[in-house]
Amino acid sequence: MVRSTSGDTGKVLAVLTVFFICCMMFSGVLLALPAEEAETAVTPAAEAPVTETPEAEQAVPATEPGTDQEDSGNDLASRKAEALKQNSKCLKCHNREKTKLLEDGKEMSLLVPKEPYIESAHGAISCISCHRAIGKREKHPSKSTNISISTEREYSVEMNESCRKCHRQKYTQYKGSVHSALVAQGNKKAPVCSSCHNPHAPVSMDNYRPETGLPCKNCHENIFNAYSASVHGQARINGNTIRDSHIQAPICSDCHHSHEVTALAIGDVLRTTCINCHENVTLLHNQWLPNAGTHLDIVSCAVCHAPFAKRKFDLHLYDNKAGVPLAMEEGEVPIQEQLQAIADEGGDGDPLEIWKARGGLGREGQVTDISLRSRMEVMSGVAAHQIASKSFAVRTCESCHEPGWRQKQNVTLSITTPDGRRQSFDADRDVLGNVGAINSISDFYKLGGNKNKFLDILVLLSLAAGIAVPVGHFTLGKMIKEYLARGEK
Amino acid sequence: MSTLPSEQKSPDVWIKTKDSDLYINPLPVRIWHWLNALGFVALILTGTQIRYVALFNIMSFETAVKTHNWVAFAVIANYFVWLGFYLFSDKITVYHPELNMKKFFDKAFKQIIYYSYGIFRGAKSPHKVLPYDKFNPMQSITYQIVMMLVVPVQFMTGLMMWDVKRFETPIAMLGGLHVIDTVHVMIYIFFISFTMIHAYMGALGQTPVTHFREMFTGYEEPHE
Repeated sequence: MVRSTSGDTGKVLAVLTVFFICCMMFSGVLLALPAEEAETAVTPAAEAPVTETPEAEQAVPATEPGTDQEDSGNDLASRKAEALKQNSKCLKCHNREKTKLLEDGKEMSLLVPKEPYIESAHGAISCISCHRAIGKREKHPSKSTNISISTEREYSVEMNESCRKCHRQKYTQYKGSVHSALVAQGNKKAPVCSSCHNPHAPVSMDNYRPETGLPCKNCHENIFNAYSASVHGQARINGNTIRDSHIQAPICSDCHHSHEVTALAIGDVLRTTCINCHENVTLLHNQWLPNAGTHLDIVSCAVCHAPFAKRKFDLHLYDNKAGVPLAMEEGEVPIQEQLQAIADEGGDGDPLEIWKARGGLGREGQVTDISLRSRMEVMSGVAAHQIASKSFAVRTCESCHEPGWRQKQNVTLSITTPDGRRQSFDADRDVLGNVGAINSISDFYKLGGNKNKFLDILVLLSLAAGIAVPVGHFTLGKMIKEYLARGEK
Repeated sequence: MSTLPSEQKSPDVWIKTKDSDLYINPLPVRIWHWLNALGFVALILTGTQIRYVALFNIMSFETAVKTHNWVAFAVIANYFVWLGFYLFSDKITVYHPELNMKKFFDKAFKQIIYYSYGIFRGAKSPHKVLPYDKFNPMQSITYQIVMMLVVPVQFMTGLMMWDVKRFETPIAMLGGLHVIDTVHVMIYIFFISFTMIHAYMGALGQTPVTHFREMFTGYEEPHE
């Protein structure tokens, strides 16, 4: 028993010793690894896309290799050297033309040119910092352990999450953008980080020549061409500065921002953006334009400053209590479908009034103090960028304040969608002159809003009365006088 | 128009004698009246040009709007000449010489008969013009409605449309710009015929120019 017991004790001691040594070695490995690799090694769920939680945001260290913060030269060089040691194995294969067959049958290039990569800022981080799924595989490459990728697009979207870790601020801005909203909706063309920034050879956007329009032009070519020919584009190309204040003419990101890209057509955003540079615009318009404040409120800058652009009346629903344009929320039936359903029911009345009477959007606690407001807008995004020199801007009032002008224009009804974009759909252009819709459209100035036939007839009747009463009275008097004169005879 | 006490005077004597009984329209009233008349004509013409751009082209839209605005402010200022005069003088009684409704309607009926028939027979107006009883009942009721209601409403609606942004809150309280705009146009429509008929009735004196002359001199001319 004793021997036996002492023998068991020896085995236990041997196991504990080996275990202790293993722990020490493992700890040493962990300490030697960069922080993100350590996280990968100890987090089994790291392969899954990182869920977006405030805690996760906070968990990311502020200073990691390749963060937005400036690295000192020596520090960066040493980290690049360290990373190169780790990455050399990867680059050995991926520095060559290689492709991977995807589930959709297409081939994806696996080439990562070595020199541009190691020279870039990302040269200071290890491959598996981003490619965590591969980093977890013990044997890579191997048919049995290789990850499967359905489409290149899906992989790009999935990999987008890896940017957040270091570029937290920019990533947050991006998540609030219309681009990110479109990606979330499943749009196949909306840009992810890698659409604009080559992840294996990223360069600062400061190195881009703005006049090339890249990377925006890749998707928005028509708009960029319109911009290039505009007063802004020409001024930028020619290196002009604005009023000697050394402000260069704007490029895409000056108005739309580079990461928190917004659709400027929403609300007052566009005007505010213009006024950011053209700060004395109100003063200048006040000097000659009657009701300048109202004009600036309801007429988009491009309507006059893109003189050849087609224009439209854009009606939008306005939450009077909150003082903001009404926006749809996730899961709500699009407003146009709701209004169309009411219109399809037939019957008299303004669909919008009926809609409001039925409780509007029907949200809990939602006030239905909603009305229509209108803005004059240009027809397209391209037109909005065709800003001409000031001397070509529309100055004659008659170009809008002309009988029948309103009837020639398109009318749209728009609403802000849950992703922050404005969605427009065609509306009946007669709505603006429709007396039945008077309650819906009484809260904004409509060009020629009271130019209806009823009032025109009243004008004519008043004029006729102004002539008929004197002429009639005079004639009657003459007749009576003649009658009386004949009677006297 | 009315029977004068001094029937013996020749038509031009009243100017020399300055008979206070005949002094019907004091200077502030005459200044107000003619400036107002000019202003109204200008406002109606520019208003029509604004409303019916391209139908005729007296002036550009921009000029029409700017002229309309400036003239409107002049007319508003002028209104206070009228208001101030009547508020701070005893002449306010010209509108209510006697607060007796029965008499008022009785006189109004007689006045209608006069303008419908009597005037053509050469009858004298049933209303005798006096410094403190200037208006016949038809004039009195019309001018009071016009000056105390219609004109102020036109001023207010015009003022709000002059700077829509500045008057955003009152416009919203009153039912929106569309309502304000329509009221302004309706009153404009009223003033088109009012101005023309007013001018015609001004020509219904002893001679077509008698009342016009009276409105310049301030003195009621004696009837023959």
